[in-house]
Amino acid sequence: MDSFLLGLIAGSFVSIGAYSVLIGDNPLSKFTENLYMGILGGFIFATNWNYVRTSAINPVLQGNYIFVVAVILCVMLFSRLKIEWLWLSRYPVAVTVGAGLGLAIRTSVMADFLGQINATVLPLNNINNLVMIVGTVTAAAYFIFTAQMEGPYKYVNQTGRIFLLAAFGVTYGQTVSFRFELVIGRLVDMLRPEVALYTYAMLLLVALGLGYGYYTKKIKWYSGR
Amino acid sequence: MSLMDKMLALDQRIIFALMFIALAFPILSPVILPMNIQQYSRDSFEFADSIPSGSVVLIEGGLGAATYPQGGPGLEVQIVHLLSKDIKLVFFSIGTETAAWTVTAIDNALAKLPSGVAAENGVNWVHMGYVPGGESGVAAFANDIRSVKTEDHFGTPIGQIPLMSDINKASDFAALFWWGGSEGSIPFGIRQIVTPFGVPMTGMCTTNEVPNYTPYINSGQMIGIIGGVRGSAEYEYLMGMPGLALGQAMATNFGGLLWALLVVLGNVLYFVARREGGAK
Repeated sequence: MDSFLLGLIAGSFVSIGAYSVLIGDNPLSKFTENLYMGILGGFIFATNWNYVRTSAINPVLQGNYIFVVAVILCVMLFSRLKIEWLWLSRYPVAVTVGAGLGLAIRTSVMADFLGQINATVLPLNNINNLVMIVGTVTAAAYFIFTAQMEGPYKYVNQTGRIFLLAAFGVTYGQTVSFRFELVIGRLVDMLRPEVALYTYAMLLLVALGLGYGYYTKKIKWYSGR
Repeated sequence: MSLMDKMLALDQRIIFALMFIALAFPILSPVILPMNIQQYSRDSFEFADSIPSGSVVLIEGGLGAATYPQGGPGLEVQIVHLLSKDIKLVFFSIGTETAAWTVTAIDNALAKLPSGVAAENGVNWVHMGYVPGGESGVAAFANDIRSVKTEDHFGTPIGQIPLMSDINKASDFAALFWWGGSEGSIPFGIRQIVTPFGVPMTGMCTTNEVPNYTPYINSGQMIGIIGGVRGSAEYEYLMGMPGLALGQAMATNFGGLLWALLVVLGNVLYFVARREGGAK
């Protein structure tokens, strides 16, 4: 059996374990969750350590001493593992947050404010532009909480609410579709002809195991609807 | 208890089982329903198609284990598309896991390439690998690649990569393709590469994030977007390379139909029950 097929079978097994949470919290779903967290934690640590080694430690060893600052900041992050030294880890976090914030704000005005405002300055020559302008203005006006709900503003507020509800509906529909796609992505691999038999066998085993657990009350039955 | 009360109190596990059948059935017995190409996907395809041969483009590979089935087929086809036009590709990823999945996309795309298309690592494409630091990392990478990366994903020193000899900042690229998956990172590209360097960009995100990023298309900051599995399927269709995404898009249709039916049924039953004084 080659490693690719073995990976598909293992993937199928842990997917069934993860999805078994849908019929109630159980040892198998917990096992797969913890397995995933453990593997991902280890992988992230190893990848980041490799990056620190190649991008900071190696340059220092080659005489580029400016990277000593980066290495020290990196080591300081680990001080949070000991409560007495926790305060030390706040400095690299502050540097990271400060640099990130500064870099983001630098172009946010253009990218997220002026660009978006420009996009709503449209000629009123078609229905799409009209909807865009009315939707933007009324939805923004909906969040004026200091105005009284009377006179023309009442209608502006109600129109804004309709646009917001429509936007929420679109987002909800897209989110549901995304969840389908996640399941389908797994099913495509789990139902491959060379893996399907293993998947069905595992489904049966899991169903029997969980059924036995629930019947003997060794696993608490899910009480939700 | 009447049938209507039973329906309103339906155990959600029955709905899960019905949904499982609706999603699995089209995978086991493929059915192709008619599909229109969305303008955003067409714009993305046409933009990629308009890039002149010999250009160098930047690709952020942000697809992970969960999102690869949705965006992966589209990314693979886009790699085939660009390499077939003799466009040089520089990949990078802002996630650890996604850097590894980008290698999968490259490998799968190379396997699909028509014979005679040049696709040598380091010459026609290079994967610079994981760039940490989120948006700060993207900003540093865009300003000076060598300050962030000393070697590519496979450990080759950057000085030994022919493709990188004249490349060191975002303005050296003709275009940016941001395959963000569900990273929520498309604004990083817009804020750190499109706005300061004027590099044109298209994006890819999961279906649920499409409404978040369409304002960037309306404002002209992004040219098009490939949304989820449907976007990938449309790219496959436009390239004339139907593959995994097209089959998955059909399964999404079946799930969507069942979901819409359940929403309508639930609302009708609710209003009928309320009229009869049952539901609150």
